[in-house]
Parts: sequence; structure tokens; C-alpha cells
Amino acid sequence: MIFGVRHSVAVAAALGTLAAVIIAVLTWKGAPVTSETFLVTTYIGLFLGALWAMYATGLVVVYTTTGVFNFAQGAIGVFAAFLYWELHVNRDWHSILALFVVVGLFAPALGVVLDILIMRRLRTASLVVQLMVTVAIMVLLLSVVGDIWEADTPRRVPYLFGINNGIDLGPSQLPWHRLIVFVVAIAIAVSMRFLLRRTRIGTAMRAVVDNRELAALNGARPNVVSSTSWALGSMMGALGGILIAPELGLDPATLNNVVIIAFAAAAFGALRNLPLAVVGAMLIGLLRAHTGAWLDFGPDFRFAHLSIAPLLLLFVVIALPQARLEVGRLAHHLRRHERYTKWWEGLLGCGVVILLAAAFSGGWLDFGGWDPGAWGSRELNSANEAMALALIGLSLVPLIGWAGQINFAPLAFAGFGAFVYLKLAGDTGNGYWILMVGLLCAPLGAIVALPAARLRGLYLALMTMAFAQAMSLIFFPHPWVMPIIGTGRQFPHIDLFGITFDDRRGFFMLMVSVFAIFVYALVLLRRSRYGRRWMAINDSQAAAATLGVPVVWTKVVVYAVSASMAGIAGVFWATVSGNVDSVQGFDLLLGFNIVLLVAAAGVSIPMAGIFLIFIPLFKGFGLRLEDAGNVDFLVTLLDIMTTYGPGLMVLGMVFNPRGAIFEMGRGFSPILPWRSDARAEIAAENAQKREPEIGELGLERPFTPEEVIAIDRRLEILDDVVPKEGYGTSRS
Amino acid sequence: MSAEGATPLLELVGIRAGYGTIDVLHGVDLRVMPGTVYALLGPNGAGKTTTLGVASGQIQPHAGSVLLDGHEVNGVSPDRLARAGVCLIPEGRGIFPNLTVAENLRMSTYAGVSYKQVQERAFAQFPRLQERRTQMAGTLSGGEQQMLAMSRALSTDPAILMLDELSMGLAPIIVEELYEQVATLAEAGLSILIVEQFAQAVLGVANEAAIMLHGRIQRTGPPEEIAEELTAAYLGMS
Ligand SMILES: Nc1ncnc2c1ncn2[C@@H]1O[C@H](COP(=O)(O)OP(=O)(O)OP(=O)(O)O)[C@@H](O)[C@H]1O
Ligand SMILES: [Mg+2]
Repeated sequence: MIFGVRHSVAVAAALGTLAAVIIAVLTWKGAPVTSETFLVTTYIGLFLGALWAMYATGLVVVYTTTGVFNFAQGAIGVFAAFLYWELHVNRDWHSILALFVVVGLFAPALGVVLDILIMRRLRTASLVVQLMVTVAIMVLLLSVVGDIWEADTPRRVPYLFGINNGIDLGPSQLPWHRLIVFVVAIAIAVSMRFLLRRTRIGTAMRAVVDNRELAALNGARPNVVSSTSWALGSMMGALGGILIAPELGLDPATLNNVVIIAFAAAAFGALRNLPLAVVGAMLIGLLRAHTGAWLDFGPDFRFAHLSIAPLLLLFVVIALPQARLEVGRLAHHLRRHERYTKWWEGLLGCGVVILLAAAFSGGWLDFGGWDPGAWGSRELNSANEAMALALIGLSLVPLIGWAGQINFAPLAFAGFGAFVYLKLAGDTGNGYWILMVGLLCAPLGAIVALPAARLRGLYLALMTMAFAQAMSLIFFPHPWVMPIIGTGRQFPHIDLFGITFDDRRGFFMLMVSVFAIFVYALVLLRRSRYGRRWMAINDSQAAAATLGVPVVWTKVVVYAVSASMAGIAGVFWATVSGNVDSVQGFDLLLGFNIVLLVAAAGVSIPMAGIFLIFIPLFKGFGLRLEDAGNVDFLVTLLDIMTTYGPGLMVLGMVFNPRGAIFEMGRGFSPILPWRSDARAEIAAENAQKREPEIGELGLERPFTPEEVIAIDRRLEILDDVVPKEGYGTSRS
Repeated sequence: MSAEGATPLLELVGIRAGYGTIDVLHGVDLRVMPGTVYALLGPNGAGKTTTLGVASGQIQPHAGSVLLDGHEVNGVSPDRLARAGVCLIPEGRGIFPNLTVAENLRMSTYAGVSYKQVQERAFAQFPRLQERRTQMAGTLSGGEQQMLAMSRALSTDPAILMLDELSMGLAPIIVEELYEQVATLAEAGLSILIVEQFAQAVLGVANEAAIMLHGRIQRTGPPEEIAEELTAAYLGMS
């Protein structure tokens, strides 16, 4: 087995190198390679590598000491960089002071607060919940940054000691800033390694993730230890963010994307090996710098050099052995017997959705004399956008909710759908091709499913993330894929049933109808044999396999179904955005947001997906209120709900893993006249909570205090029971 | 040895405790006098591990009190108790599988002893551990793992030692070896609370024994008598 694994890694490495050489030969720029230019390029690469290494170190430290892979590591860096800008640039604090306040005080405090409020409670949560919660933290932090520091002012974080001071290297200069970054990054990695391996607190940090109870029995304070881990991780994220901001500019999304490179580096060290993670980071830095210097991918592949990290991540995750990933994690199984939605209930629900959408957008509602009126183009634009995303989100229900396959690439599938549609329908906008899109996207899903079939949990999440990133950097920007980018031409209006959906409300209702059809299809699918199989592989792959469920084939099918739903949704998404700028339109952060939305909706129950419709409805409604110029606080409330709502709801899963929507549904269903089963369930639960009544115990009256004492004596419960007032009411 | 009137080192008074809403212990009273070995015996599910959980601060009782050397310690966290000298070697393997043997030993130093002392004593008692000091503890054999777990008891000079089913799943010869260590500790005057399912293992070391059934201590007495009764209880039950 060991040899088998090494063998495959070796073969993969050889193939990768071969591919790299071929690419290098084909794209050679022809610039003269002198020892000087080579050295300068190398130093740039090492410097970049050091930056990524700092993030990767933070990730690895937190992962090895808490068992949580922190997707929010980059967002912590973003927040810190903005805070540093606020203090240093905006308020003119000295850079050292600002650095100390942000990295030395704010970041550890943030880490400790995160640990106490959230992470501590995540220890026994399932991996899906863990991942979603850190993604939610990421999205929330970025939203907060966007709200505090609005994007309209240009900001720059200066280099420490300026860009022009430094060591002379002949053809160029090595600024102090970069030298410091390099030294600090290496120092951090070395000292973290020392801390984890050679000190007692470091040993305790790793011990706590192994066996928390035993660590306490030894006398270590587990809570203090894991808070230390989070504080350290957060400090490294913050420092990384501040030091990298001068290079990349102060843009939340760009800065946040750095973490993908850190993920790749961390994966290079199998997520636990610090030195290897640093080597991985350096490798990526060097590859980046040298491809930039010597290769020219041409305008068609203008973002290709950025895709080194995602490709390496993809490669590492697929090639590496998968040992020891989910050690000692208890899965929390809360599933009770699930009641399948009946076919007519599904129809009813979908009808309600369509009616609601029509009522909101058409202004049929009248709020006690205040008539919001029909939506204008601003409302419809915003609602259409959210609607298309909700459609893409539905495609994740079978994949994440049922089969437990984490997928951060819904937008890559959606983009592929848009591409297929464009190729098929061209400028005609012929809507019947959309069905064909559904068929043609299925194979792409199946292809992704093949490596996914042997990956689990975290590695699967990382793989889909890398796939999404690679697609948006290499595939979508290619002019052959999306030929209308940059031409100013619009994505054609969809033409269906003889109607051209060029009017925004009509298009909105078309999407709502497709949404309703999707929900209904999910309801039926959930009831089918396939739906149950998917749930089975989520519960336990091994058990499903022994029961005769073909695991790989089942996964392939579920990916295919999800991909074709996403592909169809992608056509609408592309049509909404009009001119498809792929890199923006199909980017990763948006993908995270969709996954989060779906997670908030309680991914597993098809009818819960209906919740997704409320995002566009609230968006449109909020704008309408704003346009009407009244009820300020309501506008703010709706804005907060639509921006922060999904993230906060996912955080709520820390306290209730079934999610808020699920509980709301449970509260709602007894109202429906035909759901006597739901009423009975609630009644049964309440009965359990209250004290049994006298009659149920077969007694006719309560015991008197004297009798209680007598019974205690007889039962030899010898506590000196003093009769208290009101201890059982006596006969009166 | 246990003079009447002396303060018990560990005393449980009227302990009721359980998991969630289910009560497991229904009023447990137990006293371990200084310098004695107390054996708590009983079948599966009797509540022995739960009793140790309460005594070590891992489980908070709903009622009753836990007294350490006469002081009430209800609500004190397990790590504080551990630093105060309560040493519980838990059921199963009380080790950190992904740390090396040496790192496992290092964790013992949280009880307030030096790393040097821990290593010296552990390796003196179990030379096998020294050979494997850089090996991951999870890859040790069952017996070696139990030795590693025991070395915390040997090296940290605890005030009271609690052992939960030391013999579980081990070959008789290893059990014997481990109990020899326990006997040495007892001779040196350490107070020990031993939990076992079967009396045989502890007959040689215990001064006092008790049978626990359904969350209550049914009888206490000299170990030999209790052992007989326990056999009768097992036979009667099955
Ligand atoms: N974490 C837990 N959650 C719920 N119930 C538990 C838990 N741990 C133990 N129990 C229950 O408490 C009762 C007593 O368990 P305990 O582990 O104390 O028994 P024990 O005497 O140590 O048994 P054994 O000899 O098998 O170790 C059992 O019925 C058990 O099912
Ligand atoms: Mg037990």
C-alpha cells in the first residue's frame, strides 16, 4: 500500500513536470536569461513565497492544534489590513504602534473571541457544519469590512520604511519591507515549529486536539490552550494581511483570495507538516515569479500565471494519500425519521412561491394604505441577480444536503452552462437549447465526481475550490469560451414559447417558474430510490457499499444532476449579468456566498430551498421602500438581513445544527390544516417537557409532605429531608 | 492503618449524577482513607466510571458533595483538581495517540513536576518506553499504551490515584506487572481508588472493597468477602 501510494505520487509528479516543461517550451518568451535577471526573479519568488508561507503557517498551526481548517484565515488578514490602514494612514499613528495594536492586541483578541463564542462549540460538529461556519465567518468579516470601509475611496497601505529604501542588488533594489517580510515569515515558521514540537504549551496544543478530556486530567487548561491556538493563528493572519496589502492593494476580494495560495501550500504539507507547507509556499512563489519572467501565455490565457496555486492545490489534493484526515471526530447524527413532502404539497408550495413573487414584483400588495407599487428596473435588476443565484443554489441541495459532498464550485458549473448555451444558441437566444445545456453539463459533473469519489470532507472542499478557481482563471477568460467579453455585446435575451423575455419582470417571473420547477423536481427526487441512496452514502459510505449501493456510480449521478441544474441556472445568471465578464461573474467569493445561502436554508430538505426565494423578494422590496422614501429603519433592516442574514444563520448552526430554517419549518407546519402529524409531534414533545400529571401516575391526589418523608425513609433515601412549604400541595 | 476519626482523603457524600436528563448515580457514598487502597467493583454499566468522573471533576453532580481532604470541591474543574494532586488514569487508553511517547510524558508535567523526574521514573519502571520514546503513542501495543498511561501515576506524586479498569483487554502477565506497580505505590503510602469489574486483579492490593450496582454502592467490606459476594452477584444476575 505504501509503495502503491508513493508510486502514484511519483507518476503524478513526473506527469506534472512533463506538462510544465511542454507548457514552458510552448510559451517561452525569449527573454535573455542572465544570472542577474535570474537572481532577481528568484528573490521576488522567495519574497512572495514568504508572504504565502505566513498565511500557510497560521492555517497549519490552527489545524494541527484545533482540528478546524480555518477558511476565514484570509479574511482575518483583510480585516487587519483595513484596520491598520485606518490607524496608520487615516489617523496618522506611527506604523509600529499601529502594527502593535492590530497584530498584538486586536488579532489575538479576535482569535480568543472566535474560540469562545464559536470554535469551542464546533468540536463535535460535523465537518460540513465546521466548514460552513468558518466560511460564514469569512463572508461576515468581509461584509463588515465592506460596510465600514466603503469601496468608493481609494486606499493604499504603505510599505514599511518606504519602497525606495533598501539594499542595492545591482539591476534592482531589495526594499527593507520585502527583506523584513522574508525574515519575519521564516522566523515565524521556525518559531512555530519550535513551539509545537519543543515546548510544553505547544505539546499541549496538539494534545488538546487529540484528547481534550485527557489533557485536562493531566492538568493542562484545555480552554486556555485552544484559545492560545486561535490567538496565534489570528495574529499570523493579521500580520500576513498587513504585510501583503502594500503589494496587492487594499481590496477585500483580492486580499482574501491569497488564502487559496496558502491552502495550496498547506495542502503540500498534508495540512499538518509545517516545514513542508513553507516549502510549498516558496515553490509557488518561485513558480509564479519565474513564469511571470520567462513565459508569455498570450492574451488568450492572460490569467494563467495566477492559476499556479489552484492547479498545484488540485494536483496535491488528488495525488496525496488521504490518511489521518478526520481523526477522532464524532459525527452528530440528529436525523430522525424524515417525512417526505407529498407531491401535492410540493405543487402547492411552488404555486405559493410563484404567487408571492408575482405579488411582490407586481406591487399587488397593500400595507394598510401604503401601496409600494410595482418594482422598477432597479428593484428588478437586484432581484433578478439574487434570483439567478438562488437558482444556482438549488443545484447544491442534492449534492451537499443529501449526498454530503461539499462543493464550492457551483459557479464553475453554472459558467460552463452559460458557455454551452452560448455555443448552441448563439445570438438567437433560443430558449429550447436550455434543456440541451442541462444534458451537456452532466458529463462535466461526472468528470469532477471521479476524483471526488475518493476524496472526503475537507479535501473534497479544497478540490472543488481549486477547480472553481482554475476554471475562472484559465477556461472562462479564453475568448473562444466567452467570445462576447469586451465586445460590449450583451448576452442574448432568452426566447421561449414564442416570447422574447426582454422585459425584466417577465424574465423575473420566468426564473421564478424555473425555480418552482427545480424545487418540485427536488421534492420528487427526494422521494425516489436515488434520493434515498444519496442519503445513504452521506450516512456511511462503507455501510452503503455493504448494502449494495454502488458508491462511485451514485456519486457520479448526483454530481451530474447537480451540474446540469447549475448549468441551466448558469444560463439565467449569464443573461442577468448581461455582458459576461467571466472572472467577476463566476468568482469564488460569490460561490462561497451561494454555498452559505444554501447551508443557511438547511440544505437537506427540498422544501426548505423555498426559503431562497425570499432573498430576491426582500432585496426588491427593500429597494422599493427606499425609492418610496420612507421607513428608514426597515430598509436598513432588510439590507442587513440580506447581507448578513445567511452568514449569521450559518453561525446559528453552531447552536442548532439543523439550522434556523428547519426549526421555522417545524414551527410552521402544524399550522397547515392537513399536518396533524406535525401537531402530534409538537404535542408529544411538550408532554415530555412538563411534569407528569397526577392522574397519569395513577394517583388521585398529591402526596402530603409527611407521606413524602415516609416514602423516602422506606426507599432509604436518608437525606435529612425537611418538609418545605409548598412541597406538594396538601388537600384543601 | 485507617484510624477512625481521621479525615478521609476522598469522600463522596450522597452523589447523584448522570448524563443529560438520565440519572446514573442515585446517592453514592464512598470514603477513601489516607494510605489505603479502595476497590470499587461492579458489572458493566453500574456507574463506576461515572463515579470516577465525579470524583475527578469531569462530571458535575446534581446533588451531594465531593470532599478532598475535607474540603468541598464541587464545581472545581478537572484540570485544577489534577494540578492539586488528583490523578485519574481513565478507562481505555489514557494516552494521546498522535503525540510521541516523550511528548505524552511531557504532558504529565502539568501536574507540577519536572520533565526530568517524569522521564526518569517512567523509564526506570518501564524500560520498554525508553526504547520507544520517539514513537507515536497510538502505534504502541495495548500493554505499552497502558504502561505509558500508568507512568503519569508513577511520576507525578499524586495525592490520590484513581485507576479505571487498568486490566481491560490486556494479557494477564501485563496486568500482573501493572498491579505490581500499584502495590509498590500503595506500600509507599499513596491512597488509591481502583475500579475493576472483577475482584481477582485487586485482591492482593486492596484494603477495602465495595460492590456497585445500578448506581448505588450495595455493600462495602474486606476485599475477600466482597469478592465472594461479587461472584454470587454475577452468577445470580446472568
Ligand atoms: N456519555 C454518556 N452519555 C450517556 N450515558 C452514559 C454516558 N456514559 C455512560 N453512560 C451510561 O451511564 C451508565 C453507567 O456508565 P459507566 O460508564 O459509569 O459504567 P461502568 O460501571 O463504568 O461500566 P463498565 O464496567 O462497562 O465500564 C451506563 O448505563 C451508561 O450507558
Ligand atoms: Mg467503566
